[in-house]
Amino acid sequence: MAKPVVKKEYTLSERIYLWEILKGMKLTWGHFWFNFKACWRPGPHTIPTCWQYPEDRTREISPIFRGEHMLQRDEKGRETCIACGMCAKICPAKCITIKKAKRKEGDEEKYAAKTYAASFEVDLLRCIFCGFCEDACPKNALVLGQEYEFARYTKEECILDKRKLLMNYRKAKEDGKLKPPRKRVPVVPAPPKPEKAEKAEGAEGKKAKVAGAKGKKKPVVKKKAAEKAESTEKKEAAEKEG
Amino acid sequence: MDDWLIAIIKVVCIWVWVLLIAVVMTWVERRGAALIQDRPGPNRAGPWGLFQPLADGIKLFTKEEIIPTKAQKFLYIMGPLLFSLPAFSAYAVVPFGDKIILGGKEIILQVSDVNIGFLYILAIGSMGVYGVILGGWGSTNKYSVLGGLRSTAQMVSYEVPLGLALLAIVFVYGTFSLRDISLAQQGTFLGFLPNWGIFKQPLGFILFIVAAYAEANRVPFDLPEAESEIVSGYHTEYGSMRLGLYLFGEYVNLVTISGIIVALYFGSWHMPYIDLGAYLGPISWGVVSFCIFFLKVSFFLWLFVWVRWTLPRFRYDQIMGLGWRGLIPLALFNIFITALFIQLTV
Repeated sequence: MAKPVVKKEYTLSERIYLWEILKGMKLTWGHFWFNFKACWRPGPHTIPTCWQYPEDRTREISPIFRGEHMLQRDEKGRETCIACGMCAKICPAKCITIKKAKRKEGDEEKYAAKTYAASFEVDLLRCIFCGFCEDACPKNALVLGQEYEFARYTKEECILDKRKLLMNYRKAKEDGKLKPPRKRVPVVPAPPKPEKAEKAEGAEGKKAKVAGAKGKKKPVVKKKAAEKAESTEKKEAAEKEG
Repeated sequence: MDDWLIAIIKVVCIWVWVLLIAVVMTWVERRGAALIQDRPGPNRAGPWGLFQPLADGIKLFTKEEIIPTKAQKFLYIMGPLLFSLPAFSAYAVVPFGDKIILGGKEIILQVSDVNIGFLYILAIGSMGVYGVILGGWGSTNKYSVLGGLRSTAQMVSYEVPLGLALLAIVFVYGTFSLRDISLAQQGTFLGFLPNWGIFKQPLGFILFIVAAYAEANRVPFDLPEAESEIVSGYHTEYGSMRLGLYLFGEYVNLVTISGIIVALYFGSWHMPYIDLGAYLGPISWGVVSFCIFFLKVSFFLWLFVWVRWTLPRFRYDQIMGLGWRGLIPLALFNIFITALFIQLTV
């Protein structure tokens, strides 16, 4: 509901306008005096609404800020990335390139899963910091950190390779600026409507077939994703029961 | 010979001083605006950003001077000159202190104490409009022309209440000379008020200050350069030092207007209730009176800034309505009351 407009007749003092001007000047004087006093405070951050940026870096950054990328390790110090390519796939700017490699025997202390990223490049010049990649990551390996000063002098420096990404992680860990673990999106179990659900599944199957005619990879991915979703559902259900 | 020398020294000194104040005013304006709007403002160049006007000046001086192809060259060049020259010369009759005695010679702290001070101010004040209208017309730009026209209409309209308010002051003090008026404001009035013009002419003061704001093209009467409507009005097409002259002339005008307000309505160099001149020596009194005068002036300069960042701009018809239907009848009423009072008491 919009507020009804009430047309008000001005009183004589309001129409003379001088008194109203004085009231307005009192207001601006309040602001001026407050900020004038604030100017004499020590330190670079004086006026509360302004951060004098290069000197004053005290501004709080949200814990879920999307800054420079990093690749996380697990508790044992192993790389968690499995090089599934979900981040590269979902990236709207197409700035992630991954080379997948299988873990050799004896590398169990280095890599957490059976596959790992042999190379992992993020092109900061193309990245739009939407954060889709960290949402897509199934292992919570790729994360956008809190670092926001990444102006560099050459194009080459703006491409983050795996070493730099891991360095970012180490730095963030040392500074205690790691991102809090993501909240899980609660998966609501579908209400029991067997007939309709079957129909829907049938439709999905048809679509998958059509897609399959175009390229063989897609249905496989979908199946995998579906399996994963099912497994996560089961896990969650188990957790709830537990 | 000595008189000539003294006159030249006075002219140069006060000219430099007024320019200096105008320069500092650009900084005060920006810092004041910033603090009123909860930001720090220019604070990088020098202590508290005090060298900012210097940086601005260097920038304006070293910029390329461009004359638009379609501009009328002569008028375009004459515009800023005709605007800034009257602004610089208007201060000649405004006092800036009492007097100083050097080597047995009495020097009044005023460039020239002419007995038609008011007329000079009014005449020079209306000269400034030529600079605005010529600059607006010479630029061959629709916004510039609009700005020039608005400025002309506004200045012509507000000159009437300005002149009438000044006339009432002449009734009260019986002289046109600003120095005589300043001297007459010593002592107390009705036993407890300082003998200042504002207590004798309260309505006249309000009329004068409103009309003066309009004459100086300041907010809330800054229609000639209304940014949101006509880009920046009459100086849209100007750049480099020509623009600098316009902006500078505006601040010099502010200093002059503040000086006039102080000289006429706020007791010039007199402190309320205390006659410092009786206690101090001739030289120190000269310095002190100068300081008192410019303390008062600086308050009014700050008032210009303060009002600018408080009020929104008037609509054009509102300005004209206020000028013709509000201020002029009030000014006539003020004159009538003043005349009646003087007739009955004297």
